[in-house]
Amino acid sequence: MKKALAIAALLLAVQVLGWSQAKKPTIMVVPADAFCERNGYVQQVEAMGSVTSSPDYSRAMKDNADIRTLVSAMADFMAKNDFPIQSLEQELKRIQTESAEMAMMTGKTGSEFSETPLERLRRTAKADIILDLDYEIHRVGPRRQVSFNLQAIDAYSSKIISGNTGVSSDSNAPLTSLLEECVLSFKDNFLSGLQHYFDDLFANGREISITILRYDSCPFEFDEEVSIGGESVDFDEWIEEWFQDNTVSGRFTTATSSANMLRFNQVRIPLYAQNRKGRDVAIDADDYVKPLVKLIRKQLNVPVGATPRGLGDVWITVGDK
Amino acid sequence: MIALTVLMTVSAVSVSAQTGKDRRKSFKSWDNYEITTEKVGVDGTKFVKVWGFGKTADQAVMNAKENAVHACIFRGLPGSATAMSTPPICPNPDVLAANEDYFQNFFAAGGPYLAYVNMTTDGVPSGTDKRKVKGGYKVGIYVQVMYDNLKRKLEADGIARKLSSGF
Repeated sequence: MKKALAIAALLLAVQVLGWSQAKKPTIMVVPADAFCERNGYVQQVEAMGSVTSSPDYSRAMKDNADIRTLVSAMADFMAKNDFPIQSLEQELKRIQTESAEMAMMTGKTGSEFSETPLERLRRTAKADIILDLDYEIHRVGPRRQVSFNLQAIDAYSSKIISGNTGVSSDSNAPLTSLLEECVLSFKDNFLSGLQHYFDDLFANGREISITILRYDSCPFEFDEEVSIGGESVDFDEWIEEWFQDNTVSGRFTTATSSANMLRFNQVRIPLYAQNRKGRDVAIDADDYVKPLVKLIRKQLNVPVGATPRGLGDVWITVGDK
Repeated sequence: MIALTVLMTVSAVSVSAQTGKDRRKSFKSWDNYEITTEKVGVDGTKFVKVWGFGKTADQAVMNAKENAVHACIFRGLPGSATAMSTPPICPNPDVLAANEDYFQNFFAAGGPYLAYVNMTTDGVPSGTDKRKVKGGYKVGIYVQVMYDNLKRKLEADGIARKLSSGF
């Protein structure tokens, strides 16, 4: 009996530990915009009457064998550190296949999937940490030398977590060897920068941005007084109070505060929160704003919607969804 | 005037004695060694030139090997023209004091540290890499430190934090 109880307690402990694990960030290597521009991997996109050029990652991955060598070398050492890298190439293929299948698929009664243009636009390759990779080959007399620049960017806050620049030795060796030498050269510094970022994440929470927007159907402006529990308070002040109570150590910055828009950045959110059943679960930006959305809806009796925009940016719309 | 001269002489003597004591202290300190990264090592390794001190040249070589592993764990390796610097495996300065017994055993004569260092040249170095100094020899050797293996060992023993811990 005692043994059975001990096993049950152990299983429960393991399960609780399992629940309280933070969400593992996804990491993806992406060729830098400057690299794509230099090597002609760009595509012209026409939007709202103006033509802009954007990087053509799919072609860069297909046509450039050196990028694949670099990604493979980086994927290898990241996998050894229990952080497998998400493949940009495979992710782009998946999105392409997904789009084709969604267009073809119909229900038994002939109904089709509904997707707004905005949803389609947002269905792109995403990762929590982007490794922005750039390199250039230089000639040193008869020999070649590779200069590289790798930036690890936190997709939530757009901050650079770790920046590594350097040059390989000048040599007649094949380019692949020089590229591998570059990866081995910055590997440990890069991992150290990542470790520092994770330590900060566990100590001070994840950093996100939140924007609150007002539809014209909203009966009040954000700098006006609203009635909360019978007490009159400015809407923007009330929202700031919520952030003071619900951020790690009350850390956030009010970037914009106007009649129609409130923007908060450097919002430090906890990695875990309790779900409806009282369990500790890992949360992200979208989960974090749910209680705020419910609170505004309940207290002011207005429609409120939340739209995750990217990974660490959420738009809350007041007056409509 | 005489009193002032005596005071200044005493102060000068005491400063010079302090300097001598400090020099002896710095010679005894484990952090007092020279190490340079020679080039980018093959995957998972670091190729360095490290100096050691000992009563005999053999002892100095062993000391240099200890220093190479010590640098990878606590000091980090400096960069060079073609290789970036390497951060220490344990950047927290309290790790050594908190795990003193572990490291006493790790760096004991013939201890586990030897499994993580390969000498790239045979025997005792000669020429400018072997210098006779007061009290023994100072030698410089080229070694390959199995950096990744060393890191895994310290992570497995709970001394260093894994990158994925907490996730």
